[in-house]
Amino acid sequence: MTDFQGLLRVLIDAGVEFIVVEGAAATGHGSARLTLDLDIVYRRTPENHTSLVTALAPHTPYLRGAPPGLPFRWDVDTIERGLNFTLTTSLGELDLLGEIIGGGGFDELLPDSIELQLFGRPCKCLGLERLIEVKRAAGRPKDLEAIAELEALRDELRSQD
Amino acid sequence: MILDADLSLAETLPTRYDLSMDESPPRIPPDPVIEAYKKDVDRTLLRENLKRSVEERFLRLMELHRFAEELQRAGRAARQQR
Repeated sequence: MTDFQGLLRVLIDAGVEFIVVEGAAATGHGSARLTLDLDIVYRRTPENHTSLVTALAPHTPYLRGAPPGLPFRWDVDTIERGLNFTLTTSLGELDLLGEIIGGGGFDELLPDSIELQLFGRPCKCLGLERLIEVKRAAGRPKDLEAIAELEALRDELRSQD
Repeated sequence: MILDADLSLAETLPTRYDLSMDESPPRIPPDPVIEAYKKDVDRTLLRENLKRSVEERFLRLMELHRFAEELQRAGRAARQQR
């Protein structure tokens, strides 16, 4: 099970700059769909890479689905040589994304993010409209139901306004 | 469903998502395929979720994970007893 509360606390408390995207962002907006992992877009700066390493090192990050025993090292060099990482940790499944299709990186998404108070901490989350846009841009058939739900959610929010 | 241990914290927070946090207008035109899918969305679930705070939604998600894991465990146990 992914401990969303634990993962978010660890990342925020270490000062990691990130935006919650994908299914967890949809949950924040009110989606009723079950998502199994936490997806975040992290800022690609040396300082943030150091913060990410510090935050996650105690939680034994490892490549999800990879056979055990690979020489995977969780350090700044690994992050700088890669971009997107699908990790399993002692707190659950975490996708670290340097960029997302149709959205770009942290700085491109930041103007369309909102700040939520989550578990007593400020947490950036991709806004609903932008979330719909990036999912539509990705063009994955498996996302059609999720996009429909997000657009229905947008309709509900507007009708309540 | 909210965990009892976390209820006190959740009760201190806003009771619903505030649209003013994200009120940008649609920037892309409707897609007829997605419009077709929208007809099958259970909006009663969305309306119930919108009554919850953001934090309550995440706590409920984790509770659903626990329920799914328990169902998987029960399924495995039943198969082994056959």
